[in-house]
Amino acid sequence: MAAAKDIRRRMADPAALSIWLGLPLMLAGLLSFISNVGGDAPPRARVLLVDQDNTPISGLLPTATRQGNTPIDIEEVTLEEGRRRIDGGDATALLIVPAGFQNAVIGSGSARLQLVTNPSQRVLPAMVRQMVEVLAEGAFYGQRLFAEPLSPIASSPQSGPPPDANVATIAVAVNQRLTQLQGVLLPPVITFSVKTEAATEQPLNFGQLFLPGMLFMSFLFIAQGMSVDVWDEKQEGTLRRLLTTPQSAGRLLFGKLVAGIAVAAAVAAAGLLGAVALFDLAWSRVPLALLWCAYVCGALLAMLTLLHLLARSQRGSEMLAGVVTFPLMMLGGSFFPFEAMPAWMVSVGKWTPNGLGVARLKELLYGDVSMASLALAALGIGIPAFLAYLAAWRRLRSFANA
Amino acid sequence: MIDVQHLRKQYGDLVAVDDVSFTAETGSIFGLLGPNGAGKTTTISCISGLLKPTSGRIAVSGHDVVTDGPAARRHLGIVPQELALYSDLSAAANLEFWGSAYGLTGDLLRRRVAEVLALIGLADRGKDHTSTFSGGMKRRLNFGCGIVHNPKVLLLDEPTAGVDPQSRVRLLELVREQAHGGTTVIYTTHYMEEAQDLCDRIAIVDHGKLLAMGTLDELRRMVGEKDVVRVAGRFDSTAATRALDALDDVKVLSAAADALTIATAGASRKLPAIFTALASAGSDIHETTLKVPSLESLFITLTGRELRE
Repeated sequence: MAAAKDIRRRMADPAALSIWLGLPLMLAGLLSFISNVGGDAPPRARVLLVDQDNTPISGLLPTATRQGNTPIDIEEVTLEEGRRRIDGGDATALLIVPAGFQNAVIGSGSARLQLVTNPSQRVLPAMVRQMVEVLAEGAFYGQRLFAEPLSPIASSPQSGPPPDANVATIAVAVNQRLTQLQGVLLPPVITFSVKTEAATEQPLNFGQLFLPGMLFMSFLFIAQGMSVDVWDEKQEGTLRRLLTTPQSAGRLLFGKLVAGIAVAAAVAAAGLLGAVALFDLAWSRVPLALLWCAYVCGALLAMLTLLHLLARSQRGSEMLAGVVTFPLMMLGGSFFPFEAMPAWMVSVGKWTPNGLGVARLKELLYGDVSMASLALAALGIGIPAFLAYLAAWRRLRSFANA
Repeated sequence: MIDVQHLRKQYGDLVAVDDVSFTAETGSIFGLLGPNGAGKTTTISCISGLLKPTSGRIAVSGHDVVTDGPAARRHLGIVPQELALYSDLSAAANLEFWGSAYGLTGDLLRRRVAEVLALIGLADRGKDHTSTFSGGMKRRLNFGCGIVHNPKVLLLDEPTAGVDPQSRVRLLELVREQAHGGTTVIYTTHYMEEAQDLCDRIAIVDHGKLLAMGTLDELRRMVGEKDVVRVAGRFDSTAATRALDALDDVKVLSAAADALTIATAGASRKLPAIFTALASAGSDIHETTLKVPSLESLFITLTGRELRE
């Protein structure tokens, strides 16, 4: 009876209803759009290489950086073009290999590599810097081991590829050096075993990560908007009048919770249908997720209703609810997914009512949900909510008469 | 019927209702007359179960409102002083909700909603939101929400406060119709004329106490044939009281530096003597008013002040 009345009143306010209903859909659509703008390809660093040494060893640099699966593209340019393009922000970094680089690597000289990075980028220049440091370190150990066998290259006056005789001499010398080092290098003192776990599940995309938090952001808005209704009813005089009917205060409060749960279920249904359409969410996961959303929203509504009943004025109650709601959103994985939050925030946020809700909803939507953890979370949210409901029941009459 | 015995409601040191007892019979209109803050609304709140009495007993159709609250409240209809309507619902939806709150369902509920809409003159506006209604229409709907479930006892807390004359007349007619239909009506007001015109029995309350109770005729007899004279000006209250007490059949009800209230039979003939006595006491008279015996003069006789003060 009271629930039907409150639902009718919500239906009479289509603006608020559409905001609650539209918020998750709008955010889901927006995030999905953002996540699809760049496609699935990860960003790559573009490094402009200026080779002022122009020797066989400096010529090996582009080849060396292309080893493995590094997200770095090397483009050889002149110094002028390199300066112009890095100043224009057209690349991640400009690497200048000075004359004498080969002599420094395999001879007795020294050389200073110059790396100019693009300040408008943050992650990719760091990757390039790390790559150059690895190369420099490799060159150091290479120089220690192979400087002597490679000395014919360093002493060769001509540029370009070395003569065949030199190559043969170098190959023999390198082979002899490796044979000498065999006792140390082979078998290696330290062995690495690289084990690649087969991917058991698809990684979540941007929209999938955000969806549970966005839904709970909506539920917090719904709980905040509907819990303040006790103040509206007090101001309109209907609350006092309701308490003169044969209905108990507990039943009236329960009606308000049912109305809130119905609105939350409608919003959750919209969000989950969006997930089915956009993220290929399995239909079989929807019913339990829907029940979970409605349950947690009901609990949040009970707790926020008690807060409103404890306040001395409507303005104060709205401030109090805001002070509680927004930190809950921040900590509880509603603004940002837990995956993007600092560890200390996650460790706190996962124990907030909405944080518990978000974490379990994520499992219900994308993972293997443990019924034990779901039941524990349900109790963790439900017990405080039930106590809040009892306290609100006790408080309602004095609140109405105050 | 409704039976109130030794009702007391106390908030800390403040006694809002002090030992009030009355009985209202089935089909009668019982008026609680008193100024603002007299304890009328507190009494109504205790009867309706909104406030728990500090002591005393209230029974509605035989059900104690404290120990058997839901049963007592099932027989009650309330029309509160302030409008208590859902402005975002239609008139019909408001009536449906309040009817269902008292247990009406299905066809009975729909029939009563239609009947009440017709009764309060809103049959053609039933689907309109109450936010679009005038003040008088809202007052009528407020009344309708209190009677939609055909209560045995109807509590009306100043239902005509701030209502235009036309709507007031209609509301008073509706109250009479309810009483004729067998409903016991408790009607609080500070409008003397309403109480005189409407109520079968009247209780005069002030500062939480019941000062007098009876039919209009019984109350008039309490005043006797005495008129009430109110004199405004500048007085030495002690000297003026002494001078007036010396006159035959003149009683000083209240005396202050700026006003005196006197009860006397045939006041118009005694005014010269009263003026002479006051002049001898050094008084300076600015204004004199004379009230013939009425509820208002009874109220002044009982409290020493006017109802609207």
